[in-house]
Amino acid sequence: MKRITRRGFLRTGLTGAGMIALSPAIVSAASSFQEKNIIYRTLGRTGIKVPVISFGVMRSDNPNLCKAAHEKGIRLFDTANGYLGGNSETMLGNLFKDYPRNSFVLATKVKPGTDREGKPNDQTTPERFLETFNISLSRLKMDYVDILYVHDVSNPEFLEYKPIINTVKQLKKDGKIKFMGFSTHRNEPVVIEAAASTGDWDVILTSYNFQQAYRKELDAAVKKAVASGIGIVAMKTLAGGFLDKERTKPVNASAALKWVLSNPDIHTTIPGMTSFDQLDLNAKILEDISLTEQESKDIIAAGAEPGLFCSGCRQCTASCPYNLPIPDLMRAYMYTYGYSSPAMAQTLLTELGTTDNPCSNCDVCKVQCSRNFLVKERITDVSRLVMVPTDFLT
Amino acid sequence: MKNKILAGIIFVILSGILSAQDIVVPDLNGFKKITKYPVYIPENLWDFINGAADAYLALGFVDLHVAEYKKGKEVIKLEIYRHSDHTMAFGIYASERSPSYRFLNLGSQGYDAGGVINFFKGSFYVKIKTYSKKEKTLLAAESLALRVSDMLAGETDMPVLLSQFPGDGKKLNEETYINESVLGHQFLNKAFRAVYEVGTDNFSIYLMKFGSAQEAYKTAETYLKSTGIDGTESETGKFVLNDGYNGTVFLAWKEDRMVIISGLAGDQAEIADKYTSDILK
Repeated sequence: MKRITRRGFLRTGLTGAGMIALSPAIVSAASSFQEKNIIYRTLGRTGIKVPVISFGVMRSDNPNLCKAAHEKGIRLFDTANGYLGGNSETMLGNLFKDYPRNSFVLATKVKPGTDREGKPNDQTTPERFLETFNISLSRLKMDYVDILYVHDVSNPEFLEYKPIINTVKQLKKDGKIKFMGFSTHRNEPVVIEAAASTGDWDVILTSYNFQQAYRKELDAAVKKAVASGIGIVAMKTLAGGFLDKERTKPVNASAALKWVLSNPDIHTTIPGMTSFDQLDLNAKILEDISLTEQESKDIIAAGAEPGLFCSGCRQCTASCPYNLPIPDLMRAYMYTYGYSSPAMAQTLLTELGTTDNPCSNCDVCKVQCSRNFLVKERITDVSRLVMVPTDFLT
Repeated sequence: MKNKILAGIIFVILSGILSAQDIVVPDLNGFKKITKYPVYIPENLWDFINGAADAYLALGFVDLHVAEYKKGKEVIKLEIYRHSDHTMAFGIYASERSPSYRFLNLGSQGYDAGGVINFFKGSFYVKIKTYSKKEKTLLAAESLALRVSDMLAGETDMPVLLSQFPGDGKKLNEETYINESVLGHQFLNKAFRAVYEVGTDNFSIYLMKFGSAQEAYKTAETYLKSTGIDGTESETGKFVLNDGYNGTVFLAWKEDRMVIISGLAGDQAEIADKYTSDILK
């Protein structure tokens, strides 16, 4: 260790040692990369061979993280026009402008603007979509993006909305995008199944995790999409990262990712990474996706946690003889106990028009919740808020 | 069981209680106000802003109130994000701003990016957007921004720690706040960052304030150990180290504050010393 001045900076004689200890990949990136046994899958008809781990780029403050990910063999970087007001795209543009264009795959997303049911509205215009896309291209400093996703498609009707679909097709013809896709994280099975029949889409980015109640339907839709040549990218793979509202029970991240990749129809995943520790953990999965015994146990246990969040699968609604809006009532329960906000719950209950004890006519509840919620208990509990004067809640 | 449930409800009523009802969005002359949006909370923010939610959640997101104002085909959308405190609100605001925007004296700070007016005040981050190019609508959006700013309570200054960054070479409106994993390290959290351009040198300064001098020292020690350096002075210290992923980093701490400089070469200790000494004086 060399002292420069008493008050100045100490320069360590271990220069480089820390570097070697922390990141051998950086020291000999090229050679070590070639020696790796990275697991690749082909992203449907795009023909792109992608490592099973890709990078969901949500932050812009540290390009070195993306740089290190690239050096570890990660190739697909996923961003969106709206992330951080565009600063995520700007950061990636500044980083990748010095990289060979074929050394990475860049995916971004543009929101077409829809109403709350996911249907096109007055603001869903080709002009606005194109304007937004061109801003993305400019921020990314690229002539083209590899994958352009129409951001947040939750209604199959949207897949037939020609003004936007034809705009995206034209971008593909013009060479401004290589492949067209869409992202979906609501109503996924229906949307994915519909897309499989159109022949338009190259890639679908879908939420996919161990907590989704509609697994069978989603898997069937994904299989159909893959059979039709669509590449599948999974997001929200950690299901929020925690099993409880207090964030005391973290999801076993490696287990969750490996569980997703145990489905061969999922071609890659885009976990968000904010630290080098996370990157190191995920880099191991690049070469080994087999679940250990403990990881399997963790996933089974995590999947069994009922938690507070109703996934809105609506499997319950048909079995209630009084047609109660069970998913909404479960949301009211979550507002009360998950968020400590009975006022929000009461507002919702008032909107729903339910009574203070809507389950009073049933001795035994026939409703089966896919998350194993005790539905009658929860409804009975939260519905009492209807009787509480609003002043006590505000 | 019933008693337990009742006790639970009474508990949340008495303890809750950050009510979502305390934000009533203002009216806007000539526009119809539509507020039929749910109040978004951490569990369902994804439903509204998709993958962008991660950044908000990492910065203490509490809830989001949304309203739309319509007049014929003209639409203005208002989003009021509540975060856990003023620093977090600055963090999310700053993460989305660009120095090229036209800055406004609105709340603590705001900007106009052509149909987009964003600002933060207290623990709130407010976003107003219209796709309209009509001047009347753009003026209405400005008027809405002023009304919302007046309505919301909270600090109108910038976070105090920002004033400790030296002005020489500091790029305007590029300061940010990183709540987790500063420079990608899980042991470094809660830092303000400023970007500098001095001659041909570009570098970033990270400033952290800890709860105690001991905490600052412990964090410095962790960082040093991660690069293979043992043995430090506890009260204060200045080191140049090779951080495996971030290259040369200058680390200094004194009492409860820590400064990290990234982007300078190892032989530029004089520049680093000048800035750290200025901050930690």
